[in-house]
Amino acid sequence: MNMVRLDKQKFDDFIRELSAEYSVYAPGKVGGKTEFIPVEPGDETDFTSPVTDMSPKGIFFPPAEVLFEYDEDGVRAAETSHRPIAVWGMRSCDARSLVMLDRVFGSAIQMPDDERFQDPYWKEKYDSSLIFGFACNEPLSTCFCNWFGGGPHNRGGMDVFVVDAGNVYLMEPVSDKGIEIIGKLSCLTDAAEEDEALAAKLASDAESMMTASPDTDGLGERLTALYDEPIWEEISAKCVNCGACTFSCPTCHCFDVQDEGRGKKGKRVRIWDSCMFPIFTMEASGHNPRVLSRERVRQRVMHKYSYYPENYEEVLCTGCGRCVMVCPVNLDIREVLKKIIAYNEQVI
Amino acid sequence: MNIVSDLRKAIKELLADKKIDLFIGWEKGSLPLSATPLFITSEDEADRAVFDITCGNNLSIYFTKDRKQFADKKVGIAVKGCDARSVVLNILEKQIDRENVVIVGVPCHGVLDKKKVLAKTDGREVLELTDNGDTVTVIGKGYELSFDRSEILSSSCLACIYPDAQEYDMFVGEPRAEVPNENRLKEIKEFEALSTSERWAHTREEYEKCIRCYACRNVCPSCYCNVCFVDQNDPGWIGNTCEFTDSIIFHVIRNLHVAGRCVECGACARACPMDINLLLLNRKVAWEVKDRFGDIAGLDINGKPAMVDFREDEKQDFIMG
Repeated sequence: MNMVRLDKQKFDDFIRELSAEYSVYAPGKVGGKTEFIPVEPGDETDFTSPVTDMSPKGIFFPPAEVLFEYDEDGVRAAETSHRPIAVWGMRSCDARSLVMLDRVFGSAIQMPDDERFQDPYWKEKYDSSLIFGFACNEPLSTCFCNWFGGGPHNRGGMDVFVVDAGNVYLMEPVSDKGIEIIGKLSCLTDAAEEDEALAAKLASDAESMMTASPDTDGLGERLTALYDEPIWEEISAKCVNCGACTFSCPTCHCFDVQDEGRGKKGKRVRIWDSCMFPIFTMEASGHNPRVLSRERVRQRVMHKYSYYPENYEEVLCTGCGRCVMVCPVNLDIREVLKKIIAYNEQVI
Repeated sequence: MNIVSDLRKAIKELLADKKIDLFIGWEKGSLPLSATPLFITSEDEADRAVFDITCGNNLSIYFTKDRKQFADKKVGIAVKGCDARSVVLNILEKQIDRENVVIVGVPCHGVLDKKKVLAKTDGREVLELTDNGDTVTVIGKGYELSFDRSEILSSSCLACIYPDAQEYDMFVGEPRAEVPNENRLKEIKEFEALSTSERWAHTREEYEKCIRCYACRNVCPSCYCNVCFVDQNDPGWIGNTCEFTDSIIFHVIRNLHVAGRCVECGACARACPMDINLLLLNRKVAWEVKDRFGDIAGLDINGKPAMVDFREDEKQDFIMG
């Protein structure tokens, strides 16, 4: 199917039509920061920055999610009958992050068809979702999606690819679900030939704004070779081991499960966790295998660029740059990777 | 004189004279609004040291990191006025030996608060920052803006009366003693003037934003417990969700744990990825301690911290009614 266009003046009509079937999420301001929030027709959206302060992972993998509740009458599964979710304005990097998370929560690579390894809480929300992904026309200086196979106009993980072209949004369906919804919406019109040319120009302009990528080939193997090298000391020296990077990251997905009980009733809650925290690996014996900062920093880097790609042949990083922006001590993951690559070339 | 070149010279001398094994300073960061901590062990590395409006980190956190990682080392450290108070507090609390640290003061004219800069640019990315002294210029894609330095300073700096170290071994330039500041208590008094329900609403609005990343705790030089109460699960003292009822417990307990120990450096507020005004409650408690016990945390190396001191004449109206 070819591109279609949505006049920006018809945006509210578009949200209204979409809302008939979906709960619609879009970037908005909460307490001065941008995150993906439920929107109704007429609500304000916020696209000041291409990268929302909080990533969209929370829509599908909430910071705290009740798994089940119990009381004297027994155990009840948490309510899971949501309306399907549609997300508007998710950038290329973030749309890709959901594909990465789906590999973990949607199934297990070892047993992809075994439903014991499928997370019902994730699947129930993600499988029926509709992603309107946004092209980045003006990437930030902190963006590095091009380092790992992404790009500002990348379509991965999207159902519909959207380009902001001034007065109109140009949309191109990517998946079957995307074709279906585009066919259904009445507020759209066919795009003209010059629209497609404009989209192509915006894409090449955006790509030219990206900084050059270092040679990231075989990064996973190179990291494995460096596991015991003293370089981790240097890399982690300034890290204060807070969770700002992991919580703002669209692909970090480690969680803790806690029982919150009072008297005879309570609930089991899944809560975002962070490998930066000392309790993350605290064992029942009292032994902690990752007691030092460098061990925890190494884990985060290894998980993203070595362990995950070993399983899924792609790094667990979209290059969105959020961790670069929020780090309170400016420990820049791009510098870390460059250091690792340079060190590796020197040592091995 | 040039502060940066003098600082570098001082670091080199300390290393050359073998007075220190390591120097903790700042270097230019990868982003225009943030400097980044720098650990210097050789004279060459000293040439990377900087000091400017972007050097917001309180570097004394590194003494207590990883269970006192530098315990067997002689360490030099660059300090602003507030950072020096943290070093002193750490010495008074027996986390550092005075003879193992060389305190190098740098003249501070305030550090920037990223969120104030981004408010000026309407959220547009900043690609370059120039500090012109009284004014600061920022440049981004398609814009260039200049504003008064005071407009983008951290709120801790706007209320500061000890911009320079009061305890030091070396000082780069001329240290100032206490500097009068009519805004010292402005924010606190404004908060106190609110009604209880307004104060609660403000507190709720701020702390609801918390994502429990603990950046505030981890950049705080006074937060160095080997095991923080939030990192315990047997028993689990508090809930770990981002619900306000859980988050506020964490913040209030932290707030009280640093009572009489908070040096009002503002590192917590600058580190917060959600821009919570963490400083207000901490400063309010610091002011209570000053008012009741006459103590300013980390100011007097020969003093006793308020929490370990008792004087018969101290105010006890909160007990006696």
